[in-house]
Amino acid sequence: MSTTPRVSSAIAGEPAHFGSVLAHQPAIAESFFALYGRFWGSDVLAARIKEVARMRNARVTECGFCRNVRFDKAVAQGLGEEVLDDITDGYETSAKLTDTEKAVLKFTDALIHDPELLNGDARAALQRHLTPAQIAELGLGVTLFLALAKALITMGLEPEAMDRTVLPTPAVLEAAE
Amino acid sequence: MSAVCAALASDPVLAEHYATFRNRSEGALDPALVALVKQAVATVHGIDAAPIDESALDEGTRAAIAYARRMPFEHTAITDEEAAAVVAHLGEPGFVAFSVVTALADAECRAALVDLPGLAGA
Repeated sequence: MSTTPRVSSAIAGEPAHFGSVLAHQPAIAESFFALYGRFWGSDVLAARIKEVARMRNARVTECGFCRNVRFDKAVAQGLGEEVLDDITDGYETSAKLTDTEKAVLKFTDALIHDPELLNGDARAALQRHLTPAQIAELGLGVTLFLALAKALITMGLEPEAMDRTVLPTPAVLEAAE
Repeated sequence: MSAVCAALASDPVLAEHYATFRNRSEGALDPALVALVKQAVATVHGIDAAPIDESALDEGTRAAIAYARRMPFEHTAITDEEAAAVVAHLGEPGFVAFSVVTALADAECRAALVDLPGLAGA
């Protein structure tokens, strides 16, 4: 896995990172940030649940950037490091993750790794804990988390080292509306 | 319609945002290349797709298709040389769009394989 950017920054004076590289395609960037802000701004599915899925994806896809970022909305909803530490293999036995979060993690693993993991029991559990609208939003989220992590990794934008960083949760910009 | 778009039927605003992002990403590339990328990725996932006849493709397109085939299960093993070949063929802006389109094609296949629309009641 390369930590040397395979594409340059499109913003003068800025190093190559996801935003500065995506600036090569302003229309794509604008639509992505509008979508991502709308997704995180929606309360159909709690930010804490979205973040649980995002962190699982970060760990499975080996996205170092994703793995070290925390979104403040989920932190405010009680998703602390002691809970995040349990989002690893064997999460099924965690005493800190809720049954809903475990069902979400199983769905996430099925989508990003092996669809066979969403067997009858796992599928039923997901549908017991989440409404169809919440599952739709979760599915969008995991799709985006996976695609963006892979795009970031394959463009060589993985940081060599990165401290854990709490960032403002993506939001819809008024100008984008 | 993609599995993700279908699943978002009950949320037209989010569905439109997603469709716009997807369409703009694909619109930045030659439609023929987008079709080949989707076909290559779907084949890797075992989703019904006809094999690609590469005999008429130029070297750059063949390199891009080979790269796309690596995205589903080997994304961390793609080398600098493989990426450089795609950059040489598409240019940097094209490589950015290609990276998004290919990764999104992989994720959408996976969403279909877990029956996201069915789970979402669509």
